[in-house]
Amino acid sequence: MEAPEGYIEAKAACECMDIQGYHIPDELLYTKEHEWAKEEGPVVKVGITDYAAKTLNDVVYVTSPKPASKVEQLKPMGTVESIKAVSEIYSPISGVVTRANSQLDSHPELVNKSPYGEGWLIEVKPSNFATERKSLLDATAYAAHLNSLLKK
Amino acid sequence: MTKTTQLHSYHAQHAKLTEFAGYEMPLWYTTTMDEHLAVRNSSGIFDVSHMGRFSVQGGNSTSFLEGLVPTGVGSQPPGKAFYTLLLNDKGGIIDDLIIERLSEDRYLVVVNAANAETDMRHMMSHAPREFEVRDMTASTAMIAVQGPKAESSLQPLTELDLSQLKRFRCAETKVAGENALVSRTGYTGEDGFEITIYGTSNEHPRGALGVWERLASTSTPCGLGARDSLRLEAGFPLHGSDIDQHTNPFEADLAWVVSAGKTGYVGDSALAEPNARNPQKVRRGLVLTSGIPRHGFEISDSSASVGVVTSGTFSPIIRKGIALGLVNRGHSDFGAQLAVEVRESLQTATVTKPPFYDEKLFGWKRQKGI
Repeated sequence: MEAPEGYIEAKAACECMDIQGYHIPDELLYTKEHEWAKEEGPVVKVGITDYAAKTLNDVVYVTSPKPASKVEQLKPMGTVESIKAVSEIYSPISGVVTRANSQLDSHPELVNKSPYGEGWLIEVKPSNFATERKSLLDATAYAAHLNSLLKK
Repeated sequence: MTKTTQLHSYHAQHAKLTEFAGYEMPLWYTTTMDEHLAVRNSSGIFDVSHMGRFSVQGGNSTSFLEGLVPTGVGSQPPGKAFYTLLLNDKGGIIDDLIIERLSEDRYLVVVNAANAETDMRHMMSHAPREFEVRDMTASTAMIAVQGPKAESSLQPLTELDLSQLKRFRCAETKVAGENALVSRTGYTGEDGFEITIYGTSNEHPRGALGVWERLASTSTPCGLGARDSLRLEAGFPLHGSDIDQHTNPFEADLAWVVSAGKTGYVGDSALAEPNARNPQKVRRGLVLTSGIPRHGFEISDSSASVGVVTSGTFSPIIRKGIALGLVNRGHSDFGAQLAVEVRESLQTATVTKPPFYDEKLFGWKRQKGI
């Protein structure tokens, strides 16, 4: 595997790449809009990337779709807000929401502290993951995408 | 071409930068949240060198300024700083500003960066022949130190006894060895100071950097993100968002700036009209039960639109969405329950008199020692 430009080192410990200080775990799938998806058995967990969280700077408010509502791939599913700005979140996959991270109601800062862990947004029962996953980026492709953004 | 302040080398190294009013300025150093809380709980420093600074001096200076602002100027003693407005002929607000009366016939006028050129043109168009307003913006720097610990952060740098400098008073002194003007003013709602450092420039920024770096050892550097959230939480309007050339001081809820009985200034006859004094809309604070209001969001009662949000954010202190907005007079009573439309959902909003924080716990009036 050829390392993308700006790639510093693959940290064996966290199994992630690090592009100018932004973490990109190897095992996740990504959108160009900086959301991630992680398959966990029958469901897929969804969140925003370290880059998205750091760019927002200080997440103070999260609006996620409620359980039982439908989300569609690459369509707006909610918002993440900082003191200064609002950012739309696009669902990486289509399906039915099974769970929203209720911890974020009182602790939205978890999105900054742990974007790939405790700061996850929703869990979805996917309707067409086998096909839809093909239009998502793997870690290497997302790293390359981020690199080209950061060069601009 | 983007301008920079004398502290730019520090910002470029430590901050996320943004463009504001033609200047490349720090947006945040760590997070807007942490910087905001540092100012409410301890002390923060801001580079406010981008603000316009004009020197007005000479025998005619008091009468010149008297003709420009609705606030009495001659009645302000030397050593006083005061908030006032520049108005157009229709009574609309060209800019809001601080005038510091340094001595009998010497003033420093501090204006918003985005309006500095407009203000200078407006002032010169009303100046007597051969009267000079000198733009000091590039030959000075300006640093604000704000928060309950601002005095203890600044005191070691100056021989001026800060405990004797009251709010809205100013004095010329030395700060970290540099000639400077210190005024007990600010844009955060907290106690604090604004320091104008004389005789420094982008070519010779050492003086400004020296003051900044010494203050940074005891105060948290803060960017424009925190500057905006702090002023909004205190309820201070931002010219260009909350007030502009189409807002008069009565609509802006700044009637206190208009000295009773004063005439002979630009805009005076327009403001004398009963309609101007009883405007249809008035600036108000709003607190939301949920959601974050933003500039341009609609304010409504149960049936119709009654106003618009002019700026909004999340308050780090009360942990709710807060806004300033222009509201129809009939719906502007404090305590009135309105709604703000946040992305297709209506959120309950209560008309509230700013500041939005509890003044017993935060802000310059806070009770000491609790």
